Amino acid sequence: MTTPLALEIHELRFRYPGTPSAAWTVDVPSLELGRAEPVLLQGGSGTGKSTLLFLVAGLMEPQHGRVLINGENIHQLSGEKRDLFRGRTVGMIFQTFNLLNGFTALENVLAALMFSDLPPRNHRDRATSLLDSLGIDRPNQLVERLSVGQQQRVAAARAVACEPALVLADEPTASLDPANAEVAMDLIQKVTLEARAALLCTSHDPRLATRFERIVDLEALSSQSEPAAATLELSTDRAEEKPE
Amino acid sequence: MAMTDFTIISRSLTSRLFSTVTTIITVAVAVALMIVLLSMRTAGQDAFQRGAGNMHMLVSAEDSPLVAVLNSVFYASAPRQAIPWSKYREITEGLGIPWEFAIPNQQGDSYRGYPVMATTEAFFTRFEPHPGVEWSFRAGRRFERSFEVVIGAEVAAGTNLQIDDEIYLTHGIEDSRQRRIFGRADEVHMEPHVHDDYAYRVVGILEPTGSPHDRALFTNLESTWVIHAHDIRRAADPSVTSTTAADLRDADRLITGIYLRVGTRPGRTLSAAQQQVYDTLRRDTTITVADPHFEIQKLFRIVSNIDQIFIAMAAVVLLSSGIAIMLALYNTMEQRRRQIAILRVLGCSRPRIFGLVLTESALIGLLGALAGVVLAFIGMFAVAEMMKQTLGLVIEPRLEPVWTFVMVMASILLAALAGVVPAAAAYRTTVVAHLRPLG
Repeated sequence: MTTPLALEIHELRFRYPGTPSAAWTVDVPSLELGRAEPVLLQGGSGTGKSTLLFLVAGLMEPQHGRVLINGENIHQLSGEKRDLFRGRTVGMIFQTFNLLNGFTALENVLAALMFSDLPPRNHRDRATSLLDSLGIDRPNQLVERLSVGQQQRVAAARAVACEPALVLADEPTASLDPANAEVAMDLIQKVTLEARAALLCTSHDPRLATRFERIVDLEALSSQSEPAAATLELSTDRAEEKPE
Repeated sequence: MAMTDFTIISRSLTSRLFSTVTTIITVAVAVALMIVLLSMRTAGQDAFQRGAGNMHMLVSAEDSPLVAVLNSVFYASAPRQAIPWSKYREITEGLGIPWEFAIPNQQGDSYRGYPVMATTEAFFTRFEPHPGVEWSFRAGRRFERSFEVVIGAEVAAGTNLQIDDEIYLTHGIEDSRQRRIFGRADEVHMEPHVHDDYAYRVVGILEPTGSPHDRALFTNLESTWVIHAHDIRRAADPSVTSTTAADLRDADRLITGIYLRVGTRPGRTLSAAQQQVYDTLRRDTTITVADPHFEIQKLFRIVSNIDQIFIAMAAVVLLSSGIAIMLALYNTMEQRRRQIAILRVLGCSRPRIFGLVLTESALIGLLGALAGVVLAFIGMFAVAEMMKQTLGLVIEPRLEPVWTFVMVMASILLAALAGVVPAAAAYRTTVVAHLRPLG
């Protein structure tokens, strides 16, 4: 029996309500990520990079296509099962970190572990060792009191805490200067490599290209799609969440 | 230790501490009000019933039976009308009624605001402050001769009087600055007069009884008659220096009430002849006959309407505290949507988010209810003290377990219901919209 890929995308298409019917916001005929494989997803602003990540995480509902994580079609899972599956299989890193304010660095990592399938008795050790390995010497400090660099490390630790198969990083360097962007990418690649997680990192920053062996251009990928696909029937009844 | 839902809830509550605390206080006030009203209703009725002890009837010259009971049993104020001693003799000896006791008493004097009851030794040997419970002395003994005084437990605590201390009684109730004894209207609004020609010696200190008698002093009738006769004699002849029992005239022998109990069979508290005796006494238009227990029930029927209004008001306060919880949670929901979105990304399901907000709301209800119970306990002491000062009613402040439990549960339920709207808003939070920027 072969080990399933970390991520498989087949004929994935999505458009926001009100978009002309011929135009897809996301149109990915096929994309695969192997175990622990890092991939840079490039594309200009508005090409649907972040939307693709939310579709992959099961936080948005595509009109067509399949997303398989560890061989499981995330969009076929019902609400609660999908949330649990995401919590155990997918880690996410955001441009603005999206840490839980009012919680300590340790609690932010523990919050991710709450929804993992790791035994609760191991949560604290796992969170502490992760933060320690990333140089967070004050794990009980509220995250809003940490420096930007430390917040980024907490976000990275949180993303890999549940030992995910896939880490999705959404423009992690967009708001950073070149020097800090290097540091941030070093960190993200280090933690995902150590966690043996595949990494799908979106960016419109061409400087990141040198860091990845595999780079996918989202616009080029979309152009490979069959034109007929644009006319596929919409299955809006599956839409769990629509952006406001 | 792993993180739990409780950690998330407690962080949410403490992150907006002011709002949380004020909402809890709102709930606490409503719960306390309800508990105090509901518990005090029962405790008040018990306290009123307790004061009447084992007497069946009260005879006085007051205008109404209720006033008679309030003044002669609860020391609410000094009785205005007097009964001549001849009437007492007539009732006890002339009607052929088999009295178990007929205890005369006179009120009107006071010591440092505490009322003085002049009575007979039968007050201690036959009358029981609680049916079945006899008087008990913490120190000393009951009075045996004139100018000896026994003090109630509260008087002892309030005045620090000890055995063998000497005191002088004040004519009228000192606190009121009015002399209202025996209806002598000409003396109203005069400064209090101290009977300083006659000293009383403290011979006994009573144990607490939880009855209005705890705040009274007791002496014999003869000494009281003597000090008042002395005042009258001196007013007529300033050369009078001393008055004794031998100087007493029939007009001096006045009382303000008679505690009555009809003979009963052993082990019984009521007598079959009670109603007949009551009717016989009522034929005499110069006196007022009261059944204390009936009068107390009547009083509670009168006040129960006001009571219900208060309870309705407290219920409205409780309801508005529920709305306050809803608003407090709902108004912060906009700030919390990002947090909810993050939790969803981490794997928290919509039902669990709904449950978190609902639990948070219920927790506010629980904390408010617990604070309310504490507040109610303090409030009951305040109300009990007020009742004691104004009505002479000794109420034992205690929380009715049933009402306390009901109120705590009702508060939690109401708070949980109030949390449904914000919880639904949390449930509907869209993750993507609250984790911008989007590419």
